[in-house]
Amino acid sequence: MSLLRFSASVSRRLLWKSAAGESVSTGCSRAASGAVSDKEPLKKAKTPQGRFDLPEEKSKDVLEKFPDDVNPVTKEKGGPRGPEPTRYGDWERKGRCVDF
Amino acid sequence: MVLWLTLKEKSRSLIHLFLPPSLHNLYAVAVNLHRGKILGVTYTIPPFSESGMVLYNSISEHPPWLRNGPSTDNMASVRAASRLLPKRILSKTKAVPAAAVHGSRNFHFSIYGKKKNAQVSNDISTQYPVVDHEFDAVVVGAGGAGLRAAFGLSEAGFNTACITKLFPTRSHTVAAQGGINAALGNMEEDDWRWHFYDTVKGSDWLGDQDAIHYMTEQAPAAVVELENFGMPFSRTEDGKIYQRAFGGQSLKYGKGGQAHRCCCVADRTGHSLLHTLYGRSLRYDTSYFVEYFALDLLMENGECKGVIALCMEDGSIHRFRAQNTVIATGGYGRTFFSCTSAHTSTGDGNAMVTRAGLPCQDLEFVQFHPTGIYGAGCLITEGCRGEGGILINSEGERFMERYAPNAKDLASRDVVSRSMTIEIREGRGVGPDKDHVYLQLHHLPPQQLATRLPGISETAMIFAGVDVTKEPIPVLPTVHYNMGGVPTNYKGQVITYTDGADKVVPGLYACGEAACASVHGANRLGANSLLDLVVFGRACALTIAEEHKPGEKLSPLKPTAGEESVANLDKLRFANGSLRTSEVRLNMQKTMQAHAAVFRTGSVLKEGCDKMDAIYQTMDDLKTFDRGIVWNTDLVETLELQNLMLNAVQTIHSAEQRKESRGAHAREDFKDRVDEFDYSKPLQGQEKKPFDQHWRKHTMSYVDPKTGKVTLEYRPVIDHSLDEQDCARVPPAIRSY
Repeated sequence: MSLLRFSASVSRRLLWKSAAGESVSTGCSRAASGAVSDKEPLKKAKTPQGRFDLPEEKSKDVLEKFPDDVNPVTKEKGGPRGPEPTRYGDWERKGRCVDF
Repeated sequence: MVLWLTLKEKSRSLIHLFLPPSLHNLYAVAVNLHRGKILGVTYTIPPFSESGMVLYNSISEHPPWLRNGPSTDNMASVRAASRLLPKRILSKTKAVPAAAVHGSRNFHFSIYGKKKNAQVSNDISTQYPVVDHEFDAVVVGAGGAGLRAAFGLSEAGFNTACITKLFPTRSHTVAAQGGINAALGNMEEDDWRWHFYDTVKGSDWLGDQDAIHYMTEQAPAAVVELENFGMPFSRTEDGKIYQRAFGGQSLKYGKGGQAHRCCCVADRTGHSLLHTLYGRSLRYDTSYFVEYFALDLLMENGECKGVIALCMEDGSIHRFRAQNTVIATGGYGRTFFSCTSAHTSTGDGNAMVTRAGLPCQDLEFVQFHPTGIYGAGCLITEGCRGEGGILINSEGERFMERYAPNAKDLASRDVVSRSMTIEIREGRGVGPDKDHVYLQLHHLPPQQLATRLPGISETAMIFAGVDVTKEPIPVLPTVHYNMGGVPTNYKGQVITYTDGADKVVPGLYACGEAACASVHGANRLGANSLLDLVVFGRACALTIAEEHKPGEKLSPLKPTAGEESVANLDKLRFANGSLRTSEVRLNMQKTMQAHAAVFRTGSVLKEGCDKMDAIYQTMDDLKTFDRGIVWNTDLVETLELQNLMLNAVQTIHSAEQRKESRGAHAREDFKDRVDEFDYSKPLQGQEKKPFDQHWRKHTMSYVDPKTGKVTLEYRPVIDHSLDEQDCARVPPAIRSY
């Protein structure tokens, strides 16, 4: 029981520490921004609170989806994205051969 | 006041030091505090109940100190849990209806299966209490073939158990991204008899033509059935399933040009197949025993009466008695150092059958691909070489020019694989162990790479850690598929070959990559393996439904059945030799890669056989570290190593004995196929060679598990199709494309 209490208090303390740390770092950036305004502004730490502030960058997949998911050349609907996987004689996707 | 703490990864590892192993799945802890004192603690391990409170779905989730003994009553467990809870939380649990306590389904973690059949018996050993289950049918393995067999049996009304060491959707079928062949005739006029011809030719006339007939005839129906289950195949404009050209398929028995037979689901056919089958199987009342490692078959008088398995979650032994056992455990790629298979492809089914004294068929036929990334095992497409990539050795030399002066890097796959292996053997390999070569692409313009081979820079960075525009990719020949396995007939029943005839082993069936109904023969065609899974999974279910009825009385089994498996388990659990499991496994893998890979000659194979026999003897000197029984991965890996060793010795001995080159088994000292006639010349006037002087036959290998001695016998290839009127057999000929 005492062990669990210890771990409960440890995790609570960790929570407090991280919360305190964030406030300190943002405080620092605000204080220092005046002095370093001519250089690049210090990046803000990505806090859980500010998570949805920045527009999320969509990771670009190398294999583009076809419009309406229809391959314009072969008119295949719902087929593999990107160039034809069997063009080299094996089944290729992203440079990997998955069947031959 | 109740304080809920969800344990993050960091604190979880800390807490593991303090908690017993059964609580290592701890997800969240609720601490009831009152004025700084802890009044009670409850904890949850997934899955949660609807109310989010602590509920155990079954006794197996209780830690040992909480269990009330072998009681099947879930209310007892709640009573036990409520002893810990203070009154306020107790009132909350009382409000939870009993049905919720029971859990929505008992299918994952229920230790007892159908409750009335579960008993704990002390007959094997008092240290390993055994739970006995009785079913009509048991399926070992839940990949494509296993799931299809399991729900086919459930659909027919059989009480089925599916034992799997992985969650069904994690089986290796999920990695198959290629398509599935079927002669649907959507793109052009097509006939399954042409598919039959292509498959027989692809197998280099080592495939059993009745099994191939069965598979290709059932293929259109199987694909349509999958599509009816909800598998989202890609479509043509008319809404029919789109088929593309792939895998050596032709029209009109090879004379009509390229056939378009390969159906696919975007980029992920195997993934979609597995998820479709899993979803469909949940409709039926199959009992899933997930994360149960099947140890051995329970054989009595040459009949298979069930399976004995270890529950990895709590270390209990379970005996599943059933009239019918289906083995669908997959291949054994992990015997080699470089393979595309998951770490769990360890040939458990083949080993279980070997330990039961039954033979395995054609294990020497292993399909290789020349350019697999070193370490990761992913294959690099031949298109890289087609676009101008070159293979170089440690001296920076384009060595393919010496082996294939005209075709150079565009030579056929087996030539390239053999050349790479010879370079490595002669000491011109790269890397600290000098055991691979480089595939160079940085001399090509990066724009061309990006347009012609999109995604290759990402692949190379993720799996090889190289920037493909600056550094070469480390590659070596890699194992992709095992054509061999447990011998079956076209119905899926396991057979042995005694006294010149095939004899069925009662009660045992096999399907999928683990089986060798020999549709692939000496070489597998692309996109045929997914077809093999569904057709023969269904065939096993149909055969069992034909020959047996649900609810049949089980034949009696000795109370001490499975004792040797438990003794073996105990021995490995307390093994205290000098070699770690990982060391022995690496030795085996390196030996197999060096001696039984693509480059096979008499001396190399003989040396490999001797080394493998020596490594097999070192298995007595293993050392394991984890002495526990709950989730003992050290023990399970050692059991898997035992299974791998049995497969490896059979592979290399069969390869050493087979003195010809056929399909995937290519030897430098015997470069030709040796058939009963010489098919390159007209048959007139040729004398038929006797059975023991030609090699158009299946290898049946037996191993004595104690000594590791391999015995080989041979079985003739079935040359007639199921119906000669409907589909004539294909007489052997020289295989050239």
